[in-house]
Amino acid sequence: MNTGQYISGAAHAGLILWLIVGIGFESEPLPFETQDVTIISGAEYAALVEASSAQGTAPAPAPVAPPLRPDPPAPEPTPEPEPAPSAPEPAPAPPPPPDTATLAPPAPPVPEAAPEQASRVAPDPVERPSPEAAEDDIAREAVTLDEAPSDTAPEPPQEATAPEEAAPQIVTEAEEQPPSRAPISSRVPIARPDRPEPAPQVAEATPAPTPSEPEPDPEPTPPPAEVPEPEPAPEPDPAPEPVPSPAPEEDAVADALAQALAGESSAPAPAGPPLTAGERDALRVAVSSCWNVGSLSTEALRTTVVVGVEMTRDGRPVSGSLRLLSSSGGNEEAARQAYEAARRAILRCGANGFNLPAEKYDSWRDIEMTFDPEKMRRL
Amino acid sequence: MIRLLSMLAVLILGVPAMAPAQSGPLRIEITEGVIEPMPFALPGFVAEGSGAESLAADITRLVGEDLIGTGLFRQIGPEAFISQITNFAAPVQFADWRAINAQALITGAVSTNGSGGVSVKFRLYDVFAGQELGQGLQFEGTAEGWRRMAHKVADAVYSRITGEGGYFDSRVVFVSETGPKDNRAKRLAIMDYDGANQKFLTDASSIVLAPRFSPAGDRVLYTSYESGRPRIYLLDVGSVQRRVLEEQPGTMSFAPRFAPDGQTVIFSISEGSNTDIYSLNLSTGARRQLTSSPSIETAPSYSPNGSRIVFESDRSGTQQLYVMSASGGEPTRISFGEGRYGTPVWSPRGDLIAFTKQNKGRFHIGVMRTDGSEERLLTASFLDEGPTWAPNGRVIMFTRETRGEAGQASLYSVDVSGRNLRRVPTPGGASDPAWSPLLR
Repeated sequence: MNTGQYISGAAHAGLILWLIVGIGFESEPLPFETQDVTIISGAEYAALVEASSAQGTAPAPAPVAPPLRPDPPAPEPTPEPEPAPSAPEPAPAPPPPPDTATLAPPAPPVPEAAPEQASRVAPDPVERPSPEAAEDDIAREAVTLDEAPSDTAPEPPQEATAPEEAAPQIVTEAEEQPPSRAPISSRVPIARPDRPEPAPQVAEATPAPTPSEPEPDPEPTPPPAEVPEPEPAPEPDPAPEPVPSPAPEEDAVADALAQALAGESSAPAPAGPPLTAGERDALRVAVSSCWNVGSLSTEALRTTVVVGVEMTRDGRPVSGSLRLLSSSGGNEEAARQAYEAARRAILRCGANGFNLPAEKYDSWRDIEMTFDPEKMRRL
Repeated sequence: MIRLLSMLAVLILGVPAMAPAQSGPLRIEITEGVIEPMPFALPGFVAEGSGAESLAADITRLVGEDLIGTGLFRQIGPEAFISQITNFAAPVQFADWRAINAQALITGAVSTNGSGGVSVKFRLYDVFAGQELGQGLQFEGTAEGWRRMAHKVADAVYSRITGEGGYFDSRVVFVSETGPKDNRAKRLAIMDYDGANQKFLTDASSIVLAPRFSPAGDRVLYTSYESGRPRIYLLDVGSVQRRVLEEQPGTMSFAPRFAPDGQTVIFSISEGSNTDIYSLNLSTGARRQLTSSPSIETAPSYSPNGSRIVFESDRSGTQQLYVMSASGGEPTRISFGEGRYGTPVWSPRGDLIAFTKQNKGRFHIGVMRTDGSEERLLTASFLDEGPTWAPNGRVIMFTRETRGEAGQASLYSVDVSGRNLRRVPTPGGASDPAWSPLLR
């Protein structure tokens, strides 16, 4: 056998092996949630449990492996039933008619002005913002330069902004209610959950009329209005208060674990923990508020696109990294329009950085966003 | 042999080692967005050469008006601009336009050649992506035709952003109404889609009704009472020459409409209490009866591919919409809601049928799918009727008449979503609009 046959034989064998082995790896990984599990010794575990119970929270015996996060789909605290979107108050309710019916001549022809409605339509209605707040895509509270800690760079003073008023659906003239209707519905007072322990995120209660943002970390720039529609699907996102009691305990455990790990080995931080449901939700809401489908063709409104984007460490999309990964439902032209609208949404609302936890950068460095306009078509 | 084995070993061990490199990207799904006008910046087009300044300003203004008029766009005032466009060829400072939240930027230049010729060029940018959308375009024309050039620019911008065809460079033929209600003069008139350049096509000596454009936009069919009875006429828009199309003694003919081939006309003939639908070949003169029921069948309209016809009929006892093959045959009823349905018009895109609906004392313009599903009412008033589609099938124009002695008819347009209801400016009263195809 000469050298040529050796090379040929080796190459063929390699190719066959590659085909056999390679196929197995190329299959599309199904989307799944990864949970980080750290194996620790019994002694460490005991120490951890002690540490957390020392903080007063009764350690439930349930979490056997403390680093395991409780399953996110814990849909126990269902969000308060929101005022149904049927009461969006697109216009101030007309004063109730007087009791005595006056035999007036028929009302003058309806003025041709279109029914008063917000120029913005969104699934989550936004009330008219307070007059002193400038309209912006992202609601921000006013920040003034009071004694800022010296070590952080002073932020420029920021005027209060609020998302633009939005109606929950397109109101055509034909659907307009006759003006003499009695008040359509009164607002249901928001039930206050009588929870004994003070939930840390309540302190955040935004003064704006927007529904309070369930973002757990007290950032000064919460993304705009949360999407509170009652979803039957057991998606983890509608749980705005991230699972009441385990949270602090979990933090304690996590802190202790971090300390313990730091103490014995300063290993490079593993791929960060996955984002919590609330963090994912915040990102989703932030992109949603910039995803304007109003100028899309009807064909593009039937097209779902998947957009890939790389993020910088400070939460900004890398504009050159945006790419259309796949599309379904429409032709190529429609997919391009849909992709361009999605790209605008990511770049515009990400221009100042999305509110993402820096310590979990590894889990959100690459993002695949699926933009499905099905719901918007029905507005 | 050892070498071979070692290569295999490398392959076997190496491939798995590559696998767990990535734990996969974060996947999120976005299903809720917003519907709002897209803000765009339209700095004044650069005048290249002397004498082009006022023309450039006019064209810029009209491009802005076209885009705003769709309800899909919002123009950012020039007072907010950080940088100015003084040179069409210079690179764009995207950061300056991002800072004022302009999502689209339109730049352009207008030049004149001294002998009346005008050239307009423009570019469209996606500001946040920092790139140009499509290629820049240039249009040549004359100073008198500046409105059409502006409409062409706006059509290109609209089309590039929305993915729909444009409709600004189009015209509308309609019935102009002047004088009191009991002695109203009605004349055929034609104008640009935005109400500019109005011209009369007929005099006021007889009543005219329901003009309809040919697919090429060069001819108009209409009904006139010139001979005392309604008759169908065919008018050439360029020469304003006209001729009678149907002359059957003792009958009335009306509700004409072109087939998409431009050669066939479909219309109704009424004899006694019976009205049926006929088609007529303009070149051969061959006439064919398409319906034969003893009830009233009228207001026929072809599907854009010419294979089917939608019309109204009272064969069920009330006026409803039916679809049949273009060659006649048994029709299928498609409207089942409350009230009466009439004047159906097939969308140029083929996906929807617009109609007039009368229910509980009010009139509506509505749309439904061609099988009658997903009915959606877009308007409501004392009297709305006679929808006509914009060439791109996204906007509907119709007649709205106000109540009472002083009641006046005027033209309105509405987006097919029901948004952006607005009056189309006409000098006097106006009714029975018919939208032309996009001009070339």
